[in-house]
Amino acid sequence: MNPRDIDSLVADLRPVRPMSGRIGMAIVIGMAALAVLMTAIGFGLRPDVLALHPSELVLLRSGTLLLVGLSAAAAVIASAQPGVGLRRGGWRWALAAAALFPLTSLLLVLGGAEFPAWIFTARSVPFCLGISLVGALAIAGPLVLWLRRGAVTEQARVGWLVGLTAGALGTFAYNLACPSDTVHYAAVWYTLTVATAAVIGRLTVPPLLRW
Amino acid sequence: MRVDDPTLARLMAQAQTGNAEAYRALLECCRQWLSRFFAGRIAAAAVDDLIQDTLASVHAKRATYDPARPFLPWLAAIARYRWLDQLRRVYRVREDALSETLFEGDHETEVVARISIDRMLARLSPAQSLAIRLVKIDGLSIVEASARSGQSPSLVKINIHRGLKRLAQFVESD
Repeated sequence: MNPRDIDSLVADLRPVRPMSGRIGMAIVIGMAALAVLMTAIGFGLRPDVLALHPSELVLLRSGTLLLVGLSAAAAVIASAQPGVGLRRGGWRWALAAAALFPLTSLLLVLGGAEFPAWIFTARSVPFCLGISLVGALAIAGPLVLWLRRGAVTEQARVGWLVGLTAGALGTFAYNLACPSDTVHYAAVWYTLTVATAAVIGRLTVPPLLRW
Repeated sequence: MRVDDPTLARLMAQAQTGNAEAYRALLECCRQWLSRFFAGRIAAAAVDDLIQDTLASVHAKRATYDPARPFLPWLAAIARYRWLDQLRRVYRVREDALSETLFEGDHETEVVARISIDRMLARLSPAQSLAIRLVKIDGLSIVEASARSGQSPSLVKINIHRGLKRLAQFVESD
């Protein structure tokens, strides 16, 4: 490294505005809101949601998906600005809370409750997967574009988290239209959708973030 | 010249506004800090290139530094990322045994030690860490590393591959 190299970097210096995580979060929230709007326009919201009196289950799953999505988004956004020793693990607790859905389903079945096999053949399943994953794509795309301006150093982890963010919020959008009122449906299909989005994120996002 | 973290943070904040003198001073401090940071952690002949790459990354990504935070953890994350990138590249530079003094980290403060590359290597299994050090840092061939470590040649390759993959997970870990 000779002084000329430093000279050339100094000569190339231009003022920059420090990256703001607020813009990243605004992108995530804005795209999630757009996904809800498009779902409402295209497929219609549940009557109880429209009446602003959602059922207990809808409230629970909506809150859980929002928590998972937003906590993972916070971790993703923080990762755009690197730093050794920064703690960004809050999303793990939200994900653990989300695991209560499949756990509840399992415990109910083990306790003797009848498992509703119709959830595997329900007409809503392709919509559930399709709407959720399209919503996830709409959220992940702008988020990745924003992330590329940053300096992500742990790309595999961020790939998972981008998928988790987008999957949880895309599924949140669909859940407001989802006609199902059983915890087993959310346990199987919502979990599968979010997991699928996370795997897609892990496979596709890291190459886009290299620098 | 030794400069503390608050001073480096202030210089970077000024550089972000376009202050060329502050930026020059910052880059010079970074160059010296990086030469200590990388010493003994990469083949000596590769240190200059690695410092250059890291400073170029500092320049390209300077907007990602948040002036409200300490500077060195930010610089160390970038340095670790570039170091790992360098290790991944296929290169064969035969080096004589590295001077023992290169491995002394006594001039680093405790805080800096927490962000050092050694903290990353310490998270690997001893076999992975040894394979990476022998081949990627000391510049031995796979066969030589195999003879030195007692691992079979294929195991050396596997340990390097798995070790580098694991290291990528620890870039920001302290």
